[in-house]
Amino acid sequence: MSAAGSGLSRREKAVEMQGETQVEMCSVRVGPGLYGVPITHILEIVGKARPQPVPLAPGFVGGLVHYRGDVLTTVSLRQLLGMPPREGLQDILVLENSSGTIGLLVDSVGEVLTASLSAYEPNPSIMDERRRALFAGAYKLKDSLLVMLDPENLDPMRLSGRAAA
Amino acid sequence: MDDLTREFLIESQEGLDRMERCLTELEVKPSDTGLLAEIFRTVHTIKGTTGFLGFKRLEKLAHSGENLLGLLREGKLSADGPVITGLLQLQDGLRSILRSIETEASEGEDTDAVLIERLEELQVPAVAAQWGRGRAGQWAGTAEMDAHAAKAESDAAAAELGTGQEAAVPMAAEPVAKEKQGSDGQRLDEKDGREQERKDKDRGAGPGKAKSVQASAAVESTLRVDVTLLNRMMNLVGELVLTRNQVLQATSGQPNLTMLSRRLDMVTSDLRESVMKARMQPVSNIFSKMPRIVRDLSQSLGKRVRLEMEGQETELDKSLLEAIKDPLTHAVRNSLDHGIEDPDVREASGKDPEGTLKLRAVQEGSHVIIEVADDGAGIAVDKVRAKAIERGLISHERADRLGERELLQLIFVPGFSTAAAVTNVSGRGVGMDVVRTNVERIGGKVEIDSKPGKGTTLRLRIPLTLAIIPALIVHSVEQSFAVPQGALLELVHVAPEQAASAIEWIEGAPLYRLRGKLLPLVFLDRLLMPDGKHRPVTERDNFIAVLNADGRRFGLVVDGLADPEEIVVKPLSAVLKSIGVYSGATVLGNAELALILDPGAIAVKAGVTLSSEEGRSPADEEECDELAGKNMDYLLVESAERKAAVPLADVLRIEQLKVSRIEYIGYRPVLNFEGQLLPVEDSGGVLAAVQHDPEAQIIVVVCREGNRQVGIAVSHVLDVAGGGDLFEAGTSKQAAGVTLLKNRVTGVVDLGGVAPLPVEEQAGNGWRQIAEVTR
Repeated sequence: MSAAGSGLSRREKAVEMQGETQVEMCSVRVGPGLYGVPITHILEIVGKARPQPVPLAPGFVGGLVHYRGDVLTTVSLRQLLGMPPREGLQDILVLENSSGTIGLLVDSVGEVLTASLSAYEPNPSIMDERRRALFAGAYKLKDSLLVMLDPENLDPMRLSGRAAA
Repeated sequence: MDDLTREFLIESQEGLDRMERCLTELEVKPSDTGLLAEIFRTVHTIKGTTGFLGFKRLEKLAHSGENLLGLLREGKLSADGPVITGLLQLQDGLRSILRSIETEASEGEDTDAVLIERLEELQVPAVAAQWGRGRAGQWAGTAEMDAHAAKAESDAAAAELGTGQEAAVPMAAEPVAKEKQGSDGQRLDEKDGREQERKDKDRGAGPGKAKSVQASAAVESTLRVDVTLLNRMMNLVGELVLTRNQVLQATSGQPNLTMLSRRLDMVTSDLRESVMKARMQPVSNIFSKMPRIVRDLSQSLGKRVRLEMEGQETELDKSLLEAIKDPLTHAVRNSLDHGIEDPDVREASGKDPEGTLKLRAVQEGSHVIIEVADDGAGIAVDKVRAKAIERGLISHERADRLGERELLQLIFVPGFSTAAAVTNVSGRGVGMDVVRTNVERIGGKVEIDSKPGKGTTLRLRIPLTLAIIPALIVHSVEQSFAVPQGALLELVHVAPEQAASAIEWIEGAPLYRLRGKLLPLVFLDRLLMPDGKHRPVTERDNFIAVLNADGRRFGLVVDGLADPEEIVVKPLSAVLKSIGVYSGATVLGNAELALILDPGAIAVKAGVTLSSEEGRSPADEEECDELAGKNMDYLLVESAERKAAVPLADVLRIEQLKVSRIEYIGYRPVLNFEGQLLPVEDSGGVLAAVQHDPEAQIIVVVCREGNRQVGIAVSHVLDVAGGGDLFEAGTSKQAAGVTLLKNRVTGVVDLGGVAPLPVEEQAGNGWRQIAEVTR
């Protein structure tokens, strides 16, 4: 278990120290894949939104949405994973990371899953650079893998820095 | 203790806190130039400000530290252990003096000789290394300093018991300042005094006893409010404005809700204004600090400088005001030191030996512009180029390619200075870099204009974020965008069938002939979607928004126009701001999001250069005005089949509206326009002709006439043309009331002849209230 701890965020470690072995995460669906976001980072789920596109913005920017009096920049998980953009309504996970609030645009938000820490595996070494920066390991579920997203790495400024590099 | 000293203490403490953090970080990353620059800035700022306040001991210590830091920054020394220790000691030393000033109102006994000597020793690399080994002595030094600080603290307790002593030193300097300044300065000082009084009241406890009686009454009517609470309120009010806009749109068709939504509208507007007002402060709050700085500095430099200030009543959000104080002080200092020449030099070049420094604040659309203009020597572009190459900031080849304006921008690069010698005031090349960093941090911009021999103008553009601005909503690429009204000059419509001839092309660059002058065009759709498919101009309506972005005039071509709207500016995330086309976003009345276009950035992106008009001196402009007097532009209108001309300079707006909007006071037609009541002139009988049809559209040309506004009802607006004067045959007397337009004699509408409304005062006020409800 100590080896598994290296890929976890600080808050999850705190849970671990209290003797808990369960981790809660919100599952999201993009295309055929299932991904997880630690619930400690989620502020709100905004369903059925239609983000306003921003011309000239980097490809991963999903557009703008009006969120609680502010204009929130969203990041499209589809675009980040190299999938074609999707027309129509999408769900938004409002996340909080150390640099602020961002919206994560996904096809749909699923249920909150609980997984045992012992089911955690770090990123496989064969994964390409781009995905490795995005993902924070995976949990082995009964019949599939839940790939964890690292909210810190979803910050648009960081993403654009990587895109430029 | 006076305000200036108090603020200096607070700022310096903050600066030293930052410096401490940076120093410890520097130890880990000795080659980080950003950290070094930050440390240097702190020490430089402290040293600079102490100069004005007359804290000699502090200045001396900071100066020696600055010398050491200067070497570090130039890479002649590396920031190794002993140097860091030395710098930390410097920081402790500065802190203990500040503490002493705070508690005793004096710097205390000068015991810095040891520390200064060490800082000087450290400037020689070899000695620095040696000194590092002898750590024992260094700790003794720290202990000695701590002991001194402790003494200062105990003395402070005693000082507080004694009355008024702490105010004595700075106060003594004030009367002298008042005498020396001219009548202009006197007025400013009086204002300063009032300001001071007001502030003391706010604080509830003035320095003197007489004031405290008065203050106890005032304290109940004012309240200190946390700025974060105000921010929160502002945000919520912004939300409310958006909700109101949506409610208004949703209820517009329901008569039973009209009264309610109007009330909501009015209350929201009032609330918004009050909250905004609560955050606003006049720029005089920072301008008032300048006379003293200018006076002290010009004396120490042996220069004669007159300070002129304009637009002090311009208001700016408190947090922004705070943020520009430092940059402004730096800019003023730079102007005095580098800009304005010595009196004898000025006399020799035929100028008034007394230089002029102008501070001007003005609101321009969504920005407040603060200008620091001097009539000094200006910046020699050649020198800038040479210095930049010498310092390795740019390469030879690049320097040759850069234009004059771009070369001027180099002075904002950290470490740049053209001054021949490093003086006590400036010349280390920190100033301009600080100015830019601080202004950009709040989303502003710094521009510089300089004419060798004529002077330099530094322009700080400070945005009014949080602010609510009027904007025109335009459509392009199937989206709505907001264009700040402040930059908008006029709108031109080019129909598809006219487009082929009206829009001309030079080597792929579209141009429009606006009253005989070529206006560069920027197609918004092509700018925003360079790869998309664009409909040719001949297959769509072209709306040209003629914009003026800081002297860059261009036409922004969009697909459609919507109504102007008051929009709440919402900040954009950094990643979208870095695109450089948008200044923010907003939520429109129909709940749609719209990006706010930044006309200046678009002009730069599209490569629109500064219009030639900008370079003209005021004298040239006067000349032009004289010429224009003979050849005025007129708006050619048609009313009831007769052509008439309206002087273009008097035209405020052209409004197309339903005839039912025209109301009558007695027999006089009037229009309630933006909350103001206008008499409408209808000599052409346009209104009478369409009176039976309330849905008919008419055009009202809103004009300025003296202090009032009048409307002229016309059936068509035809064109804009330059008029020629007509002289009565056989005399040299100018014919009144007519002009030569397009070689035809045309009557000029006599705006002064429009009779004032009989009950203008009362009716105007009453109507204004009703108008606010309907808006």
